[in-house]
Amino acid sequence: MKHKKVRFLVGSLLIVGAIGYLITMGISNTSQYFFTVDELLSQKVSYAGSGLKVKGNVVNGSIQRDPNDYLNVMFSIEEKESSLKVAYQGVTPDMFADGREVVVEGTLGEDGVFHASTLLTSCPSKYEAEKEAGKMHPGTLNTDKYKEPGLNKADALPKTTI
Amino acid sequence: MNDIGEFTLLVALATAIYGCVAYVMAARGNRIDLYLSADKTPLIVWGCVMISSICLWRAFLANDFSLQYVWAYSNIELDTFYKIASFWGGQKGSLLFWTLLLTTYTVVVHFQNRKKNLRVVPYAMAVLLVIIIFFLFLINFSTNPFERIPLPPEDGRGLNPLLQNYWMVIHPPTLYLGYVGFTVPFAFAVAALISKNLDDGWIRVTRKWTLISWFFLCMGNLFGASWAYVELGWGGYWAWDPVENAAFMPLLVATAFLHSVMIQEKKDMMKVWNMSLILLTFVMTIFGTFITRSGLIQSVHTFDEATLGYYFLAFLFVILFACMALIIVRLPLLKSENQLDSFLSRESSFLFNNLLLLGIAFATFWGTIFPIISEAVRGIKITVGPPFYNQVNVPIGLALLALIGIGPVIAWRRATLSNLKKNFFRPLAAAFITAIALLPVIPLGSRVENYTYIAFILCAFVMTCILLEFYKGTTSRMGSHEESMLGALTTVTWRNKRRYGGYIVHIGVVLIFAGIAGSQAYGTHIEKHLKPGETFKIRGYDITYEKLVAVEATSVKTRVIAQLQVERNGSHYWTARPEKEFYKGQNQPVSEVDVLSTWKEDLYMILADFREDESATIKVYVNPMVSWMWTGGWIIAFGTMISMWPDRLEQRRRLERFRREESLFPSPAQE
Repeated sequence: MKHKKVRFLVGSLLIVGAIGYLITMGISNTSQYFFTVDELLSQKVSYAGSGLKVKGNVVNGSIQRDPNDYLNVMFSIEEKESSLKVAYQGVTPDMFADGREVVVEGTLGEDGVFHASTLLTSCPSKYEAEKEAGKMHPGTLNTDKYKEPGLNKADALPKTTI
Repeated sequence: MNDIGEFTLLVALATAIYGCVAYVMAARGNRIDLYLSADKTPLIVWGCVMISSICLWRAFLANDFSLQYVWAYSNIELDTFYKIASFWGGQKGSLLFWTLLLTTYTVVVHFQNRKKNLRVVPYAMAVLLVIIIFFLFLINFSTNPFERIPLPPEDGRGLNPLLQNYWMVIHPPTLYLGYVGFTVPFAFAVAALISKNLDDGWIRVTRKWTLISWFFLCMGNLFGASWAYVELGWGGYWAWDPVENAAFMPLLVATAFLHSVMIQEKKDMMKVWNMSLILLTFVMTIFGTFITRSGLIQSVHTFDEATLGYYFLAFLFVILFACMALIIVRLPLLKSENQLDSFLSRESSFLFNNLLLLGIAFATFWGTIFPIISEAVRGIKITVGPPFYNQVNVPIGLALLALIGIGPVIAWRRATLSNLKKNFFRPLAAAFITAIALLPVIPLGSRVENYTYIAFILCAFVMTCILLEFYKGTTSRMGSHEESMLGALTTVTWRNKRRYGGYIVHIGVVLIFAGIAGSQAYGTHIEKHLKPGETFKIRGYDITYEKLVAVEATSVKTRVIAQLQVERNGSHYWTARPEKEFYKGQNQPVSEVDVLSTWKEDLYMILADFREDESATIKVYVNPMVSWMWTGGWIIAFGTMISMWPDRLEQRRRLERFRREESLFPSPAQE
């Protein structure tokens, strides 16, 4: 009886150990440091080359697109004290615009340019609007404020009906 | 009306508190008078919550923007359909909706078990009421949906356009039905512990509840995946987002529970384990709610009020410690006579299945909370993304897949070499043939590709195991009765609903595994910025971008539609119209993707961006075998239905066995 119990205990421990090993390896192979722009640039150690996630606000007027390749984008993100240049290739999210809070994932090059493989804009503004609504009376909410470049862009297109 | 809604919530809270106390006192003091009085409370609480909910629905339908909640999630122009669904569109309403479901379940439990087992049921009702009290407390004093605006605005802010999709009406209630449902088996487990009725009575009473909740949770997850697939426009269906994980973890633990209770029913083993699993399942549902409501972990689903999450966290710890203490106190009564005999037995395959399921759940949990832990320990926030989950969960998942084939076939207690040969020769042959046949057809080399190869081989193995079970049952029936093959198959399934229903669920799970493997390994995508008339290629499809049109669909909605022609082998194949919708008052447009789905692959088009000069950025995905997943989901639904179907034969069988056992081993709890 005792003998069997030990065998099962060993068997189960092997499985648990294997899973634990997978988790540890997974964490060390795939984890990314998450910094804000100021945090990243004030680090004493250089994080160049390792997987990073960086949060910051898009600098006004910094968005530049390659005239030959619309999907090739350069922009800068900033926080209070510092800013970081970002290179990104791909579709930019709908909410991507001057002043927006974004999170970029990728690696920091030796030249100080961040090469982003993904670009995320923070949560839908529904929730931001909610926070602002908390500060002022909802009845006075100015809806024009929420009209965005995207809609103007749609308005600029020729209209048809179906 | 709003006053009534608010008032009934208070009445419900007071009644629930009284009921809870009365049930406990009745059970402890054996006072039938108190019990009869307490037994009226579930219905009253339910009635009050129902009235309150109706009041909130009325406010939505009547455009009553004096309620802050209605103002925030609805407007005059919103479809009636979505006005009804807006009820659970935000924090406050979703808690009320949760309470509505929970009280409804409680009433059903009350009617099911009235005048049955008076030693256990009062405690179970008390536990249910404790949880109802927690929710009612939050609703009354922290997130009241009837909060007013002093000067009501003329129009509301409207529902987030991302939520304006028919899935919004289906997905959240489905998930909630699952989440909330696990409260019932949990309550009975706790009641069994308190009242020392520690045979498998609580499992028998709540088996249906567990199955139904599992069913809804499973469907809720799949619906969520479909919703993400058609609405979020990133070509995928699962991102290991914290909120997805929050719904996935209870599903895993509940699946482990569903399997291990069979061992307790059959062998009277694993009692502590089962208690712990149902406790863990319930705690996971609360943890999931904590994640979504606290804003502590970044997610696409974040709700706004952060403090609420901490009530859930506190509640979680109280439940966890109270129940752990209770289990420890009752440990001597939970000892089992029987023991596991051999590695090669059904019991041990169930044990391993449990360990693997919990392994996936734990890896997912660890990945989800890792940023918080690393920040607390090292002061640096470290996050893990989909690569982590894939790297860890895929190998565990594959081992689990193999067990789906082995578990139901391998003999109980101890499998001998001859019955291993008999049972597994053909499935192994099928796996071998699949391995050879696939070798020249599919790419190999990368980690994902190799895993997928293994996954397909295992799918063939498991599928053969299951189909052989059906075949064996059918032929033996045909041998003993004059029946056609189809007739025999139906009879066999119908006579053993639990068993064959389970097998059908397994078939669905295999299809889902295959779909995930195929779509993860062989998918491809391309992004192009195009002028009208330009052409590009992907996987044998020739795609031409024709034109861009803007349509004012309603006074608040403008649709921008791109039209693309897809050709295959030189002939016209499909006209795709992906679009972007702009809602007035909402600054985020919504992408409406266009998908052509076949059993082989999905062609998935997104209008990612466009400019005033009518050039557009188009993103195209080719996602192989995605439809296998949805088919698998429907098969799971079908299988669960069969195994849940009321079965008189099974009931009688169980009752007889129960009586026999009782006379043989009178358990101490039954005195």
